Amino acid sequence: MKIMTCPLNGPRNISEFTYGGELKQMPDPATCSVAEWADYVFNSENLLGVVTEWWMHTPSNYWFLAERHTGSDEILRTFDPRELFDQRVDFAAPEAAQ
Amino acid sequence: MSLTIREHAERSPIYDLHGAAPLTLLGDRLFVAGSIDESEQLQRCALIDLSNLPRVGFRGTDSAAYLQRKGYQLPEKPNQACLQSNGEQVLRLSQTEYFLLGSLTDGGARIAADEAGWHYDERQANYLLPRQDSHAWLALSGAHLPELFAKICGVDLRAETFPLGAVVQTSVARLNAIVVNACTATLPVFHLLCDRASAHYLWGALLDAMDEFGGKPAGIEALR
Repeated sequence: MKIMTCPLNGPRNISEFTYGGELKQMPDPATCSVAEWADYVFNSENLLGVVTEWWMHTPSNYWFLAERHTGSDEILRTFDPRELFDQRVDFAAPEAAQ
Repeated sequence: MSLTIREHAERSPIYDLHGAAPLTLLGDRLFVAGSIDESEQLQRCALIDLSNLPRVGFRGTDSAAYLQRKGYQLPEKPNQACLQSNGEQVLRLSQTEYFLLGSLTDGGARIAADEAGWHYDERQANYLLPRQDSHAWLALSGAHLPELFAKICGVDLRAETFPLGAVVQTSVARLNAIVVNACTATLPVFHLLCDRASAHYLWGALLDAMDEFGGKPAGIEALR
């Protein structure tokens, strides 16, 4: 079994993890165009090389980030998302349609 | 007075598997009684249903301070458990999430009261996680626990790597589960928390895995 190292729980069988997609910069939903938002939601870069992805350790419901080479499928590093996300992001409620 | 599970609102998800086993009350909660004569079985290999014992979770950046104000001792790091003086266990599942297991000493009354007494306060990031109906709670005991878990779990649960007070969140018999090393001075015990709706399956899977070690279901009497 392939082993992945969870930053919270340590090395675990890969079957305990769920893939969550590429890490992408979210456009501001209040100001971006519909095309930009659709690109963010639906499209993937699908690069060959080292990418940063969201993964979840399913038994603990813990989301983290992993750097993985998409050619060799080697997992180079896993880390807590607090390294990148250190502030709470609040979204203003959209104004009701007139 | 004879006790009948069907007359109680709080029912273990696997109550129908207990057959004609004698029952006992802890407060108003029903458990398989067992007997003190079972202590030899518990030392060898036994499976006990504690699903009716209260348990609850809290999560949020203010949860640690909230629980400390309530008088709980908290584990220093995630994936550790801390035994309280009254027998409750406080599990720390992540930086900001705690899982509290009730004690057989008071029938879980303290945990049940703390769950009932929680109120949402928008100035505090401390959120209640009801666990009574999400998880089933089984206790496994006996000298063969590491060998037993080696059959059904990918994590090494021998004493060298899984000492007293350690917690692992992993897959057990293909179910997501939380395992706690809660050994006492006289008895090796692991607590196992799993999806409540799958408890029926896991009970059978565990008994099947225990078979070669002479494992049997038991009651709470010898555990108290």
